[in-house]
Amino acid sequence: MRTAITYRAILFAWGVAAFGADTILLGKLPKGKVVMVMQPHHDDHTTDYGMGGLIARFVDEGYEAYYVRASNDEKDGSHGYARNDMINLRESEEATRILGMKKVISLNWRNDYMGPIPLDELRAQLILLIRKYRPDVILGHNPWEHYQKNPDHRNVARAMAEAWWMAGYENVHPEHMKLGLKPHQASYLYLKARLDWGLGHTPNLAIELNESQVRRKQQAYQTHRNVYANPASARAVKSALARENLTVPEFEGLDDQAAAVRMEEWHMDWISRVRGKEAGVKYAEDYYFVDEFDHLPGLKAYLKENVRPK
Amino acid sequence: MIKRVRFAVAAGALLACAIDLAAAPPVVLVIAADASNFVLAAGGTIAKMAEAGSPVYVIRVTNDEKDSWGLTAEETALRSRAETEAAARALGVKEVIPLGYRAAELADVSFSGIRDRLIFYIRHYKPGVMFIPNPYTEYDRVLDRYYTGAAAEDAFRAAALENFQLAHADVELGPHLTPELYYYAQPVDPRRKEPESTATFVPQPRSVDIAGTLQKKIAAASALKTVNESTARRLKARLDATERRLSLLDAIDESSIRRLAEVHVRGLGTTEEFRYAGIEFRIPRKYR
Repeated sequence: MRTAITYRAILFAWGVAAFGADTILLGKLPKGKVVMVMQPHHDDHTTDYGMGGLIARFVDEGYEAYYVRASNDEKDGSHGYARNDMINLRESEEATRILGMKKVISLNWRNDYMGPIPLDELRAQLILLIRKYRPDVILGHNPWEHYQKNPDHRNVARAMAEAWWMAGYENVHPEHMKLGLKPHQASYLYLKARLDWGLGHTPNLAIELNESQVRRKQQAYQTHRNVYANPASARAVKSALARENLTVPEFEGLDDQAAAVRMEEWHMDWISRVRGKEAGVKYAEDYYFVDEFDHLPGLKAYLKENVRPK
Repeated sequence: MIKRVRFAVAAGALLACAIDLAAAPPVVLVIAADASNFVLAAGGTIAKMAEAGSPVYVIRVTNDEKDSWGLTAEETALRSRAETEAAARALGVKEVIPLGYRAAELADVSFSGIRDRLIFYIRHYKPGVMFIPNPYTEYDRVLDRYYTGAAAEDAFRAAALENFQLAHADVELGPHLTPELYYYAQPVDPRRKEPESTATFVPQPRSVDIAGTLQKKIAAASALKTVNESTARRLKARLDATERRLSLLDAIDESSIRRLAEVHVRGLGTTEEFRYAGIEFRIPRKYR
């Protein structure tokens, strides 16, 4: 063999070059008790553009966390629709447990067919859940992202973009009051999307993660074996490197499945370091954060100056 | 050569239109999703145009039935209609035309259905200026504004084409091209001042000084009593729940609600920001 390389080092160097090192402001978590994640798919809580580290940090700071999975994920995997649905739900439950979440609520809309669904109906389901679980914080996909080709992401994000505040209005689905539920508005939104899809998503806040939060994010991510950590991906990397007479020392003694898991863990470690470097810390994730009074642009400065503790 | 002649004719027609419009204040047509947005985002500019002699019409797409405190949807819709008319009067608007769609339920309404109703009014009033909610604004949580803006932008285009709404020809509603288009939005989008492109046909940022009509804007915003009370009470509820207080809202009454509305308008400043597409944006730069 000509030489040995560290796969991780290459990934990291590429990441820094690709994303630059602009500094994003570090934020603290708001006070609260419940965080709810609303996403279309089983794995959106912890993909590379996802939010696994922040979820783990919310849990560490005492929040109860719930995951709403809007679709049935039947297209993700190679086991046929019904089995894909079951496997992906099971893996989602396991992954979110690793992050410390209490429950996965599956709405079961048909995966990749959410383009023409009645959006008001999906929004009504989200409003019902907001009124039941009363989250202070909602995490989800950025509905203003550009070039989003997946209708599941686009429509769940749009439904969430109205549900989070409309749930606080008595005249929106008054039938929910028959169940003893009360209006409730979440106060803060953390929005996430890919950074490499045009101008749509520009983060305004970074959240620092500690070592343990990144480890849980790594573990949660590679738990989705039905779609990630595929042995074939490790085989492909190994054979591509072998053609150049290169090896990855960290792969020695690992079978293809274990090597694939290791690669996914590096991926999560790498992206967390890239975002951390941008924010001047070791590990971070970044978001577009919507604060409690952002919808009142004419009052924000006045409130900042005049609101006092009781 | 043919292309040059065609552009010259088009440019000439549009410039003739502009000269004609310069002679008489143009009709202004404001398309609004809800009662408060057009007042807060464009009220000062609308009042300024009305003061200059333009007849101004507002098409209100939804019925605003959701935003109130302690009222039923029906009562809210009824009050909001009267209050929107009062707000519009304060700005000098001649008439408010309600389309009556249920607020916050536009997502599943036919897009072309809204567009076609707007085409009717564009052909009827033949405006020289249109104001529409900017559908490209990011982070405005009221998506009715997005749906209305998208339908209005299409209506602006389609109203000028004879193959849309053929029955209009039988009632002498001819195609109409509105020369000036203002896209409005409240300043919630952090990138709203970034130029998107300098190319021809792309609307550009335009700021309008509204210091002279600020009082009218405050009067209009204050007329929206139902939504203002909802804002004040929700704000107080949020502050109470988090052990905070705003002395202005220690007692919520007509006076404190009115004062909060005034603070809100003043906080938006004496400049209104738009994306503007005028005649020049439809003539390639070299022919201007």
